[in-house]
Amino acid sequence: MPPRWVVAVTGGKGGTGKSFVATNLAVLLAGHVRLLLADLDVEAPNDHLLLGVTRLENEEPIATFFPIIDYARCTACGACMKACDTGAIVAARGRPPLVMPRLCSGCRACLMVCPEDAISPEGRRVIGYSYSTPVGRWGDRFQLVTGMIREGEEHTPPAIVATKRRALREAPDGGLVLVDTGAGTGNGVSAAIQEAQLVIAVTEPTPLGLHDLRAILEIAHGMGKRTWVVVNRAGLGDDRGHEALAREYGVELLYRVPFDTGAARAYARGVPAVKACPGCDAARSLRGLSGELLAALKTL
Amino acid sequence: MASTGAPVELVVASGKGGVGKSTLAATLAIVLARRGYRLVAVDADAEAPNLHIVLGVDRWDEEIPVYEGRVAYIVDELCTRCNACAEACVYGAVEVHDGRYWINPWICEGCITCSAACPPKAIRYRFRVKSGVVRLARSTRYGFPLVGGESAPGRPNSGKLVTETKNRGKSLLGAEGVLLVDAAAGIGCQVISSLTGAQLALLVAEPTLASLSDLKRIHRLTKHFGIAPMLVVNKYDLNPDIVGEIEDYARAENIPVIGRIPFDPAVPESMVKAVPLVEYMPDSPAAEAMLRIAEFVADKVLTDWRSWWSRYRPKKPEPYVPIIIRPGGSAK
Repeated sequence: MPPRWVVAVTGGKGGTGKSFVATNLAVLLAGHVRLLLADLDVEAPNDHLLLGVTRLENEEPIATFFPIIDYARCTACGACMKACDTGAIVAARGRPPLVMPRLCSGCRACLMVCPEDAISPEGRRVIGYSYSTPVGRWGDRFQLVTGMIREGEEHTPPAIVATKRRALREAPDGGLVLVDTGAGTGNGVSAAIQEAQLVIAVTEPTPLGLHDLRAILEIAHGMGKRTWVVVNRAGLGDDRGHEALAREYGVELLYRVPFDTGAARAYARGVPAVKACPGCDAARSLRGLSGELLAALKTL
Repeated sequence: MASTGAPVELVVASGKGGVGKSTLAATLAIVLARRGYRLVAVDADAEAPNLHIVLGVDRWDEEIPVYEGRVAYIVDELCTRCNACAEACVYGAVEVHDGRYWINPWICEGCITCSAACPPKAIRYRFRVKSGVVRLARSTRYGFPLVGGESAPGRPNSGKLVTETKNRGKSLLGAEGVLLVDAAAGIGCQVISSLTGAQLALLVAEPTLASLSDLKRIHRLTKHFGIAPMLVVNKYDLNPDIVGEIEDYARAENIPVIGRIPFDPAVPESMVKAVPLVEYMPDSPAAEAMLRIAEFVADKVLTDWRSWWSRYRPKKPEPYVPIIIRPGGSAK
């Protein structure tokens, strides 16, 4: 079921408020559009906690290809080791190769180059799990798809891509997929925003926030994405540099969400700020942001 | 001159972003240096490096670019639009625009899968793509060197860059002293590279359900490595109930709670000025709390770190166990 829109909420620096903004937007927009929220922060997913969801449902393992070598056929030619991009296949000279599970990305290059047909195409490794949970306690229902890697996994992009694909598959026909990308500025984030028509970069009014905003805008701009910037905790610092940076990158909208202890307390407890303290500054500001987004969907 | 006997690695980590790792790591480094410890500070967040900003470093003495990356591209004239590359790529890097096949360089990890899958051999590589840079400031204002790395935006495998950064730090440190590592958020490859080889971890949490959940994940990761953890709760006055839940978890897992820091607007104020809080406003509540924590680490943890490590490291080894499904379907 193809969604009509994909909007990604990202930010680079951890803790700026991506999940705070994404979950509150989901609660606000669910009454206006059919919506699915995709939590692609597979290392440390939190959207379910911010929404007071106690149990994630519909667990599916994320299983990537894993080379299982038939040592009866293997001639220790070393082709698989040369083909492996992550260094997951090791072999001493002339000895049969060993595969190190944690490093394997499941790319299948080894399978494709093995001249002896010694690698089974059926082997799999479970690197994490995805979940799909209906969220209805805050008003209009929406679906939450969550990805989570197993602790100890090195390589997150395959889990991000698998969770994203599930979200796009389960997305409401003609509706909106809101993506929460998780922290970072690497290729995991670029994979998470790949289908987005709009990227919302959440930052904070500090030099740390400014530094990481530049990296995120570099990616979004490089990928040709329309971008907005949300300065969260506005008022607790200085955001003039952020404004100038936004202009430099052709950002279409810069929006401020003020720091608000009421919102912070609600966040801590797992209640969306727009429900816990609808009159507080942060909630009013988030409602304004959701209005801007609704209006923008008509142009995306 | 305080001595550690042999190099000891202490990683400041949290799982959750934005809880105060860099602020606390900077304070710790400054106090350890004042106490006479030999020290190298390592910023092990290659995607969003912040430690240099907190420490007021605006100039690097050494910046060494790392060119390890590789990006695939399709030679359009040879492409038969068979879709084999798109089906083979586990990253979804192959896109189709107006019927033309194109590999998105912001997604491509540079593995050889698509070229191996391509029947007309239409795929080539750009080599020596910039992965990032390793940077060194030989002496911060506080007397110790800072090593950091920065990934080029959108590039894969930041964990490798973190490993190179740490190795630079280790070679600078030599045979004695403290390698103080400020880890990235999360529990992925960057953080795993930060934890490899460390004996001690200072875990930082804030009183939110999100932070507690992430604390459990980073703690389980430290158990894989046999690292001795200790815990600091930051911004503790924002939610006492959840502080209780966090400390219950710590107690059940033999993680010593070595301090609590109150929420303090002086923290972001000092950051805007790019001055560590302990210099900008040493009498502020957060500064006082951080100084006490740093002094505890200097005097009670590092002076005999082997005893501390022995006492608090995981009693049972809990290595990572892969879940492999063999042909025929039985999970191993």
